[in-house]
Formats: sequence, C-alpha cells, structure tokens
Amino acid sequence: MISGNRSSGPAVLIENLDKYYGTFQALRKVSLSVDRGERIVVCGPSGSGKSTMIRCINRLEQHNGGRITVLGTELNDDVGNIDGIRREVGMVFQHFNLFPHMTVLENCMLAPMIVRKVPRADAEATARRYLEKVRIPEQAMKYPGQLSGGQQQRVAIARALCMQPEIMLFDEPTSALDPEMIAEVLDVIVTLASEGMTMICVTHEMGFARRVADRVIFMDGGEIVEQAPPDEFFTFSRNERTRQFLSQVLGH
Amino acid sequence: MVSLLRNQKVRNALLQVLYVGSIAAMVLAGIAIARQNLAAQGITSGFDFLFKSTGWDLNFSLLPATANDPYWWYFLIGIINTLFLGTVGLTLATIVGTIVGLARTSSNELARLLGRTYVDIFRNIPLILQVFFWYAVITHLPTPRAAHEGWGFLLTSRGLYIPFPNVSSAALAAATLAVIAAIALPIWLGRTSRLSLPVGQRGGIQLACAAAALACAAVVLVAGRLADLPLLDFPALQGLNLRGGLRIPPEFATLAIAIAIYGGSYIAEIVRGGFKAVGKGQVEAALSLGLGPWRVFMLVRLPLALRAMLPILANQYVWLMKATTMGIAVGFTDFFMIVALTINHSGQTIEAIGILMAGFLAINLSLAAIFNRINKAIALKGNQLRG
Repeated sequence: MISGNRSSGPAVLIENLDKYYGTFQALRKVSLSVDRGERIVVCGPSGSGKSTMIRCINRLEQHNGGRITVLGTELNDDVGNIDGIRREVGMVFQHFNLFPHMTVLENCMLAPMIVRKVPRADAEATARRYLEKVRIPEQAMKYPGQLSGGQQQRVAIARALCMQPEIMLFDEPTSALDPEMIAEVLDVIVTLASEGMTMICVTHEMGFARRVADRVIFMDGGEIVEQAPPDEFFTFSRNERTRQFLSQVLGH
Repeated sequence: MVSLLRNQKVRNALLQVLYVGSIAAMVLAGIAIARQNLAAQGITSGFDFLFKSTGWDLNFSLLPATANDPYWWYFLIGIINTLFLGTVGLTLATIVGTIVGLARTSSNELARLLGRTYVDIFRNIPLILQVFFWYAVITHLPTPRAAHEGWGFLLTSRGLYIPFPNVSSAALAAATLAVIAAIALPIWLGRTSRLSLPVGQRGGIQLACAAAALACAAVVLVAGRLADLPLLDFPALQGLNLRGGLRIPPEFATLAIAIAIYGGSYIAEIVRGGFKAVGKGQVEAALSLGLGPWRVFMLVRLPLALRAMLPILANQYVWLMKATTMGIAVGFTDFFMIVALTINHSGQTIEAIGILMAGFLAINLSLAAIFNRINKAIALKGNQLRG
C-alpha cells in the first residue's frame, strides 16, 4: 500500500501546532507527519479541531504556535511560501464552494490559467479530462446551481485536481450531502486514493476510513488522542474517548 | 340566484366590477369638479398652450433656448437637463459609494471608521439641507479675479471653469456617441450569440472595437475643430470676467455634488451589504486554489457582490433620479422647475403636472426596465446552491 518517494521527506509535517480563537484554544500541541502517498482519515466529535487542523495546512487559518512544513516548505508569513503551498495543496470543502457565476468548465479552468499560466486550450483539455474522471463530463457547460449536491461536490474535486496538486485535503466532503449522493462522491475519492494521491480526509464515514485509510487519526479537545491503521483502530482502540466516539458513530 | 352568488368565480368578478367602478366614479367626479372650477376662473383647459412661446428664459440648457420657444420645447429641455444632472449625479454617487463602501468592508480599522462616519453624517442630514449647504459653499467661492486655479481649472463663485475642446457642437455630439460606442460595443460583443467565436475568445475583437471607436472619436474631434483656434480652450480672465473653457454653473455643480455625496452614503451601504452577502466559502475556495487577493476580489467577490447589489441599487437610482427635483431649491432649470415655472406663467396646472408625472414615470420606468434586464442577464443559474 505504501507508495511515493520517502527519501524526499514527509508531504506534511506538523510539529507542536497551537491555534487559538481569542482565548479558546482550538489546537493543543498537535504533531503529525504525513508521508507522500499516504492516506489519512481524521475523525472525532464536532469541535475537536479536525477542520481547524487541515485548514491550517493551506493557511485558511493562521496557526499561533508550532511549525507546519508542506513538501519541504515552511508555512510562515512569507507570502511566496503560502502561494507556493496553496498551488500544491488542493482542498475540497463541506459546502462545495463552487463559483456560482461560472460554468462547471470555467470553475475548473480558472485557477490553472491564472495561477499556473496554462494556455486556455490545455486548461480546457485538463478540465474535461478530470470531469470525465469524476464521471460528469456532460455537465461541463452547466452552472453549479443546476447540479445536485453530489454532482457539485464532484465538480469541486475536479476543480481542485485541475491544479494537479501533490496533496488533497478533504474537509467533511460528504457531510452536506443527501444519503443517496454520498456513495458517488466517496467512489471518486476512493479511485483517487488507489492512484496514490496523498490525502488527508476529515470525515465521519467509518466504512470509507476502513476501506481507504493507511492511518486513522482520532482528535478530541484540540488534541490527537489516538492514531492507528484502520484494522487496529476499529478493533483494539485503547482510549476511552475513542471507544465512546466509535460506539456513537458505529452504534446504529 | 342564490347558488350564483355563492359561486366563487362570480363573487370575485362582482368584487372586481365594484372596485373598478368606484375608482372610475371617483376619477370622473374629480375631472368634473376640476372642469367646473377652471371654467369659473376663466381658464381654458387643454394642451394648446404647449405650442405658445413661453416668454421667459432658462439659466441652464444643453440645447438652444430663447423666450420665443414654445412650451413643449422647454419641457423637452427640462427632461434632458434632468437626465443630464441625473446621469452625472448617479455616476458620481456610484463612485463615492463604491469607495466608501469598500472602506467599510476593509480590514483597516481607520478606513472602516472613516467610512462609517461618512455614512452616519451624510445619510442622516436631509438632502435639501445638504443642497443649501453646498450652494452656500460654492457661491461663497472667490470672485473670478481671485479664482482658485489649478491644471487649467478655475474655481469661482460663478461656477467651475474647465478646459474644453474648441470643436463644433455636432462634432462634440458625434465624439460623445463614439465614446459611448467604445464602451457598449465590447459589452455587446461579449454577450451576443450571433458570433460563432466562443465567448471566452472574443477579447481581441472587443479590444479592436473599443480602439476603433475611440480612434473615431479622436478623428471627429480633430476634424470638427473650429478654424484658427487651439484644440483645447483654456478659461482665462479677461477684464472682470472669465472667457473661454466650459462653465459649469454653481446650481448644477451644487446639485451634482449634493446628489453624489448624499446618494454616495446610501450606495456605500448597498456596496457593503453586497460584499457581506458573498459567501466566505467561495473566497476560501479561491484562496485555496492559489489565487491572490486581487484576483479573488476581481473574479469572485466583485462579480458575486454585484449580483447581490443590483436590485437594491436600481431602487436607489430611481430614488436619486427623483432627487434632481431639488433643482427648484437653488434655481436649476430641471424638469420639475420648468413645470413649476410653466404653472406660474400659463396657469395650466393640471396639464403641466400631468406632463411632469408622465415624464418622471417614463424616466424611472425605463431605468427600472434597464436594470431588470441586466439583472436577468447576470442572474445566477439554478436553484441548488448552498453555503
């Protein structure tokens, strides 16, 4: 299962990360190392800091202490570093966040053309290829508001992939979806995982975690409480909080 | 019979007939009373007065006007004056409003405070007070001899003098049309479905069209210049008065400034609301794709904010268009003032007010219709949006 180039260091290295909102501490000394090609699933109760942690990785949130190194570049106030990292890190959001005034195709072509300076024709070819991959090539000329939630989320995945990122972050990608649409989105992510993409996915889909993850991370109260390969995590978790959480999400 | 009265459709129809009938009766009674009173005062009603000469002068007109001209010509001038003042006032108000509105949404605390102070002050003082204030300021500017001067502009109590091209008025009108075409043509080219070229690849044609139209404007201006005079006419002191250039009268300047500043405070709030309505998620998505702050603003925040603003903005524009009637307070001959003078001089109150109402209705309905079209054209498609 392990792929990627280990010799060039981890894809994401988080050391002693602290994050405060005012006086509230959302992350407490979080440390995590993600290898290239590794697939991490992050779970935990709401408010445990999972989203905050992955939003720090592409600096949608600024951390207050500790270090984050992405692909060998440290994330600090250097605007060049931030831009460089965002270029290599794709993100998929809970609420899709497509640009509603652009067609699906334009959503996918915008960043490659502007940020990567890809010529229009190439950007369009890439966009169509990824729309094919997420299985909605026929919707290219439609607007996001004309698609179902599941389709919108697949467009959002294609949009992120069009930047050809090294790492993909998923922030609860199926939480806003109707049950019958969850599978179509997860299928796309599973395909992506099988192709060796480095990914960190915050989700409550435990079946998905079992199937895809190399490592499952459980967070609570702004800390990483436990991390283990899925088999071990689901069967032999030692921690009381983990067991309680698992009984709640797997209980019915 | 009873069953007929209990029929819902019959009942509705009956109510409609009663409603329309009572309104018609009131209107007819009003007309009858008005005719009776007018006859008692010896005033003949009707629209014949439109073709009589007015016998009074106008202090501001974009078209030639003398006291010998008939009333209908004056009404036309009034509408054009109102439209001109409205266009200038709305444009300035939009510029002011955008700047202040953006200041209010900025992350800079000082900018936010200044923006808020501006809005609080100018939104809460009645427009007529502001008109009088600016009129007082402008009419207390120095005399032409002691005028404030800079870059060929002269600021005096007799108005603002600006350099103006020495060209025939026909050439000037043609050049203005060419400049409008330079703006409108590229927009049309970007949207029309008559071109086979895909929408995204029309930048070249759009640019060429705009350049050609601007070149036309330049050629017309140079060709239409008056003989033996420099192309640009600078205002200068001659004896006790200023000669040359274009004089913007104090009355017009007052109203344009007042509408710009008062309207700007309302538009600032609309702009602020528009930007607040843009989802944080879209901005985050754009950032996470590596777009810089300027691109995020131009490509995501502005287009989405504009869509949220437009319906309210249209409402505000209609409101500000009506605010041009403040002309009567400082003696600017806008449509309303010309109607008021007409009533004084001809006594044709009902007809003149009818024309005034019809005129404003036509102006504002057209404005609303234009905005509705734009609104529809750029409306977000689909109904499945979230976040």
